Amino acid sequence: MTEYWTELVNFLSGDKIWSMTRAFLLVVIGVALAKLVSSTIARLVGKMADSHRAMLLKRGSYYLILILFLISALHELGFNLSVLLGAAGIFTVAIGFASQTSASNLISGLFLVAERPFGVGDVIRVGTTTGEVLSIDLLSVKLRTFDNLFVRIPNESLIKSEVTTLTRFPIRRIDVQVGVAYKEDLKKVRELLDQVADKNPLCLEEPKPIYIFLGFGDSSLNIQYSVWAKRENFLDLKNSIHEEIKNIFDENGIEIPFPHRTIYTGSVTEPFPVRFEEATDNDSSFYDQYK
Amino acid sequence: MTNDIITPSSWWGSFEFNSEQSRLWHIGPLTFMVRCLNGEWQVAYDRLSEIDEGNASWDIEDTDQLPESLGNNSRYVFRQTAGLLTIMPLLADRSVITRPLTPFNLTAGEEVTLYVSTPLWLEVAVGSPKKALQEIAIQRPSDTWFGPSTREGELCYASATHCRLSLDELPQRPHRAITPVLIRNQAETTLSIERLNVPAPLLTLYACADGQLWTPKITLIREKDGDMAELKIDHIAPQEARQAEKLSPPRMTVASGALIQAFNAVFR
Repeated sequence: MTEYWTELVNFLSGDKIWSMTRAFLLVVIGVALAKLVSSTIARLVGKMADSHRAMLLKRGSYYLILILFLISALHELGFNLSVLLGAAGIFTVAIGFASQTSASNLISGLFLVAERPFGVGDVIRVGTTTGEVLSIDLLSVKLRTFDNLFVRIPNESLIKSEVTTLTRFPIRRIDVQVGVAYKEDLKKVRELLDQVADKNPLCLEEPKPIYIFLGFGDSSLNIQYSVWAKRENFLDLKNSIHEEIKNIFDENGIEIPFPHRTIYTGSVTEPFPVRFEEATDNDSSFYDQYK
Repeated sequence: MTNDIITPSSWWGSFEFNSEQSRLWHIGPLTFMVRCLNGEWQVAYDRLSEIDEGNASWDIEDTDQLPESLGNNSRYVFRQTAGLLTIMPLLADRSVITRPLTPFNLTAGEEVTLYVSTPLWLEVAVGSPKKALQEIAIQRPSDTWFGPSTREGELCYASATHCRLSLDELPQRPHRAITPVLIRNQAETTLSIERLNVPAPLLTLYACADGQLWTPKITLIREKDGDMAELKIDHIAPQEARQAEKLSPPRMTVASGALIQAFNAVFR
């Protein structure tokens, strides 16, 4: 018992306990200082730069300070850092093979941050997912979709695939595809479309709307009418312009046809037999709509 | 009981309201209504969908109509209502783009004065000191883009009327303000004017005794090198409306008197 006691006293009175205490204190101070400095930087920068840059600086400063303090703490404990780094090199190779995906995501993340195709708050479309960017982290990008789902997209797939940033430019184009019957006067149709664009205040006057004749379709003359809108008004204009085109076509008797199908039995076979029957009371209301 | 209108010579100004009183304004295409209740103000408005440029009249009337009969209805609740309503005209919150009837050229060393008519907003405020409730566009102008490409530029309003070389040709409306724009071409090449950017948020609004609204004169000078344009805004009412009194200050202020802008930002 006395031996244990003596050993404990020796241990406590020795240098080791003091260096451990100092190392522990360094880690605690490091964490506190890193938090304080990074949040102060984020607050100061947040007023001048966008949220994406502020977040990057906050994280960068946090990890930098923390790593410096951790290294000092290890040094205090008596670790020889050069040996440790050498060992870490061999260890990294082993880890690297084991965590290829994470490493690839990590490096892709660094490229994403450097290339900066989008920032926090932008709306992007990746594959079939469209949403607002919540954060760009080292391994993944987090999105909030418009139906309020949280989507995590690995950085590697963002680097490999096509990403569309919907909020990069201030104005957007809406392509309205419309078909009119073959009998209609295309000049008049064009005038009516211009009238609709002119009257709608959300539709930009300049760049001018674009009228493209797409071709002779199966049952209609196909037209594309492209109008420009302020990005924020995109949906409002998309809804209103379709409605207004339909209304003005109805008012002016312009037919928007739907596909027609003529059933032909061929020249060899007999035509379909058609039989007339007298309508019953139940049927009369059904036939009334065709009168 | 004060049903009379305090400033009948114009559609703006201060108006006394009794409890449960409603008034209806018709200004150009806008019909708007204010109702004063005990502890509540109700504002409603509607605009004619067809833009009738010939409709230059305005009137104010007491009404029994309910605000619900108009669209765009809003309610503002207060601890108590003082019964004082202030209506003030304001210029657009973005630049206004106007074009001449047909584009014209200004040869080297020449200058010309154009008259531009810009749309107005009205600010509804209550009480003393004023508490602004909302701003209503008398005629919602169409949006437009002004810039060298679809990536760079500025979102503006498109003026429904053309700028004119003579003031007599410009229809005078109670719901639009007139801005004289002097363009001086000091470059050695001809300047073709297709569209013109009028920086409405930087302008003060003045009112003449006849009810016509004016803004100070703008001078646009195309510099010698041809790439830059200098924009100067007067601090007084224009010559055409010397007796005019100041109605509302500019929405935005610039530090210096003259603005040097890229040539593309003013002319196209």
